[in-house]
Amino acid sequence: MITKFIIPKTDYSKNLTMKKYFLSALIAVLTLSSCSNEGSAINTVESMKSPQMENFDKAFKSLGDPQNRPTEEERKRNTSELSDRRKALLVPASKELILSSGVTEAELTRKTGGDMSQIIVWATQIYMQKSDEIRKNIKSEK
Amino acid sequence: MKKLLTILGITLASMAYSQGGTLIVNNYSAYEYRGALIANNFSGGCYPVIGTNDPVIIPPDSHIGNGNALIYTNYRDQFGTSLYPMLNWTVSIAANSSNVRPWNHGSLVPGGVISNNTKWSGTKFEMYDLATSSYVPDFHANMTVAANPCNGVMDYFVTPSGANSAEMFVITTSTGLVETYLQLY
Repeated sequence: MITKFIIPKTDYSKNLTMKKYFLSALIAVLTLSSCSNEGSAINTVESMKSPQMENFDKAFKSLGDPQNRPTEEERKRNTSELSDRRKALLVPASKELILSSGVTEAELTRKTGGDMSQIIVWATQIYMQKSDEIRKNIKSEK
Repeated sequence: MKKLLTILGITLASMAYSQGGTLIVNNYSAYEYRGALIANNFSGGCYPVIGTNDPVIIPPDSHIGNGNALIYTNYRDQFGTSLYPMLNWTVSIAANSSNVRPWNHGSLVPGGVISNNTKWSGTKFEMYDLATSSYVPDFHANMTVAANPCNGVMDYFVTPSGANSAEMFVITTSTGLVETYLQLY
């Protein structure tokens, strides 16, 4: 179909010239629209995150929700360590994230001993590694 | 895969080695953070104190959620790995002594004298509204982690309206890994 128009013709009937214009216009439109598609398909770290990563984010953000803010009592403690009540808010999403990386439940229990801080910090490391990978993938796609 | 494991191994090793641990700043607010990040000695006097030499600017809505959090694994490696590289640090080894030191200065490497004797401790900041090009009234603070023997300011801050808040806390594992968080809501 296309070769028909690329092969030079000596007989330029008006109709064919129109078709030629039409075709080049079509190619131009396709090129432009493919470029704009590329624009909308540019992936961001946000759009490429797994649901487990998203829940992990939400858990950290939820520490600022009124009911999750530090209580008077928690603020009187003489330690900078996040309170157990608030750590517990981060644990379910942290566990989910660790398990989604291929670690088994048994391994999780064995390595952390159920210690909330271990679970959260491990999840944070997995999280950072995953977002680095995503960022690298985005870079290599560009 | 091997490469990845090596990188991961080195990262973990350097994390464990740097005494101050990793600093993570999550700005969930609609405003730009403009401030300084500070670390100090917690045992045997308050020096050395080390702080960012240039203003740290974190755009609105920049957090781990969108990959735009500020993450400093240590004073040196932040320059190559962080989205907010800090070229120079202000280092005070005594009350009347202050030096500006580049990120690759010998004392700032993980295991170096400054790294070994300081922990992330505080921030001083103002929040800037890009929409109105003005600082947000009431949303500025001088904060430190709780139980800092060298600084008695609060680790938690909420604006009078209750609309915005900020806090600093630490998560420490029994194996000695430390993550210090500054969260702005």
